[in-house]
Amino acid sequence: MSAPARTGRLPSAAAATAYQRQWFADLHRDHVPGAPLALVNADAPQEVFRAMGIPYVVNQWWASIVAAKRRTQDHLARLRERGYPDHTEQYSSTALGSAFDPDPASAPWGGLPMPSIVLAETTGDASRKIFDVWGEQPGVTFYPLESAAADTVPERWWELMPHHWEDAVGSDRLDLMVGELEGLIRFLEQTTGRRFSEQRFAEVLALTNEQEEWNRRTRDLVAAARPCPVAVTDSIPAVMIPQWHRGTTWARDAAHRLHDEVAGRVSAGAAVCDGERARLMWVGRGLWFDLEFYQRFQERYGAVFVWSMYLAIAADGYVRYGDDPLRTLAARFAAFSDQLYTPPWSAEWYVKEARTHGVQGVVHLVSDDARGSWATSRALRAAGIPVLELHADNVDARRSDPDHLDRTVGSWIEAEVLPRADD
Amino acid sequence: MSAALAALLDPALPGRTPDRPVAGYVGADVPVELLTAAGYHPLRLSGSPHEDASPGRRLLGGGLDPVACSVLTRLLAGAYGQLDVLVVSRDCEASLRLFYVLRELARVEPSVALPPVHLVDVLHLPHRTTTRYVLAKVRGLRTWLAGRSGRPAGDDALAAAVAAHDRVRGLLRATGDLRAQRGLTGTEFLGVVDAATALLPDRAAELLTALVAELPDRGPRPGHPVHLTGSSHDSPDVYAAVEAAGLLVVGEDHDRGDLLAATDVGDPGDPAGLELALAERYQFNGPAAPRASIAEQAAHTAARVHARGAAGLLGYVRRHDDGPPWDWAAQRAAAGVPAASLEHQPYGRVDPDALDRAVRTLRAPAVAA
Ligand code: SF4
Repeated sequence: MSAPARTGRLPSAAAATAYQRQWFADLHRDHVPGAPLALVNADAPQEVFRAMGIPYVVNQWWASIVAAKRRTQDHLARLRERGYPDHTEQYSSTALGSAFDPDPASAPWGGLPMPSIVLAETTGDASRKIFDVWGEQPGVTFYPLESAAADTVPERWWELMPHHWEDAVGSDRLDLMVGELEGLIRFLEQTTGRRFSEQRFAEVLALTNEQEEWNRRTRDLVAAARPCPVAVTDSIPAVMIPQWHRGTTWARDAAHRLHDEVAGRVSAGAAVCDGERARLMWVGRGLWFDLEFYQRFQERYGAVFVWSMYLAIAADGYVRYGDDPLRTLAARFAAFSDQLYTPPWSAEWYVKEARTHGVQGVVHLVSDDARGSWATSRALRAAGIPVLELHADNVDARRSDPDHLDRTVGSWIEAEVLPRADD
Repeated sequence: MSAALAALLDPALPGRTPDRPVAGYVGADVPVELLTAAGYHPLRLSGSPHEDASPGRRLLGGGLDPVACSVLTRLLAGAYGQLDVLVVSRDCEASLRLFYVLRELARVEPSVALPPVHLVDVLHLPHRTTTRYVLAKVRGLRTWLAGRSGRPAGDDALAAAVAAHDRVRGLLRATGDLRAQRGLTGTEFLGVVDAATALLPDRAAELLTALVAELPDRGPRPGHPVHLTGSSHDSPDVYAAVEAAGLLVVGEDHDRGDLLAATDVGDPGDPAGLELALAERYQFNGPAAPRASIAEQAAHTAARVHARGAAGLLGYVRRHDDGPPWDWAAQRAAAGVPAASLEHQPYGRVDPDALDRAVRTLRAPAVAA
């Protein structure tokens, strides 16, 4: 069989990447050292900064740029030199290496400007400490948010979240997050001189909901389309870059544009891979140091990764409606990572997504960290879907020899996926 | 050895009271007073580095603290005997993940015999908003226990339990302070703490009172005095190895040692204030490596080194215990004594060559500036 032909790069993915580069260049040009600039974790309430006009860079997004430029190891080495570990939570600690860069100008994209505030939830045993180190740097304040956990949770959170989030998340967690956000806003008002306008905030929340509603329609199109119209390597930047800019009209329009392009491809019957034989799901963070990884299997086997969490969590994980804007925002983040990593929430959600996307197999990236995998793999297997647990770190390539990854995934596709797909 | 010490370290020490239901619990963030007040015999669960933990590891994943894998394995094997309820705290990420797996097992594999399990989410940021949240969790646990045991723990029972546990904590602090005079080894102290959490508080208080009276007559224990930081120890193996190598652990900052008894609940005066007093006690019990800030942890370590007259700081970090390596640089800088760290250590063991090197560093005479 000849190699299946691929559709070209998705224009909205290219546009998002270009926008991001320009945004970052502008930030470099306009940022005055000491002026308000935030570094925030991916799962922290960025909307407050957006509403107050305080620019921010997302910690893990920056780590993914550094990884894509193959600079993660230099960054981790700088942590090691200062007596910090380089083997825990690398995805969250990479950006900290940028703070110690002796030559920022040679870093990817001209380097990360020094933030004045860093915001993170106190998740895990190490993540919080990474931000403590940030907070020790001159001119940087760490504002920690608690990360609370619930004793009981409903299974089908995606049905409850948009309107019935109070039931899904629980009042204690929401009270806590609202209290902390009030503290954050007061802190920012006092230290930056910026105003927090309720009206502007409501606008930001409304734009975000619109954006995520577009993502939801796009996800539903991709789930139903045969063959798969868009590569995950395109949908990831096309979704995530606007995600980091959510609450702006650009981001809302970018999500709209992505939707229209995907819809166009679906009606034209366009395929990522001409000879699509099998549909795969990628569970876990992006393999940032080897993005060609996903394409190799479609070239070799016609096995297409039709799903990553990035579009799917945009579709299901962000939309929140409510009368009290701050509580609504709290509801977006008080249980954010539970949606992806805490059973039964995560496990049931992956099963639902696997079914609606009609996948014949799941590659589940299992890193050497605390997030755990048993419940997700178990739930998918119980639903009759083959799962390959792939042991690797998503930014730290030291433990992930590409040949080994290829061989493992390839032989699993041959043995377990193709026989089912060709049935 | 003093008679009280012998009694406390007796391996045949009764781990439970025949006529009481048993509440197993995980982590020092469980408000144990509520368990006692609800009529349970509280039993803190320990892992065992000597037993194969692969069934637990299969469920929890390879990246998690082996202590949690061991506890889960033992729970599945029924190694703790009959547990009527199980309360898990959020003292570290591994405990939280353990809870999630237990909750999921109950949901998807109901045939696995497990006690009813409850999470008590005690958080530690020094904020008023956090206190309000922890108070809600304290109340939630009290209600849940009442539902399980069929009778609510009244204010009187709770006040009595608080007083009894405070008394044990006070005696543990007094015992710990005798380590400054080297009255007992770290290994012995670990055993004493263990016994104090296995016995009902009144019995524990009796034995500890005798211990505090008897110890001052005992000659000082040998060894180069060090403060131990890093991972917690749920078995005496590492302490025994460290002390066999010529060190004497005179203090530590984990919750199976000094940190278990750092602060009291106190008497709020009005029974209506008991739940709040409990919430504040557990929120502010002192910095534990997985939850404290680097600055807090460093200041605490330095203060403890000084208070116990430690001549060195020894760090011991178990594989997959992710918090302590981030603390080390600041702790070492703050301690003001020679410091050595053992990282990536296997559960319950210490690499002998690394330990040798650490001992040499710790005993090296201070280099004159
Ligand atoms: S992979 Fe996880 S940590 Fe990274 S951005 Fe997505 S949700 Fe956040």
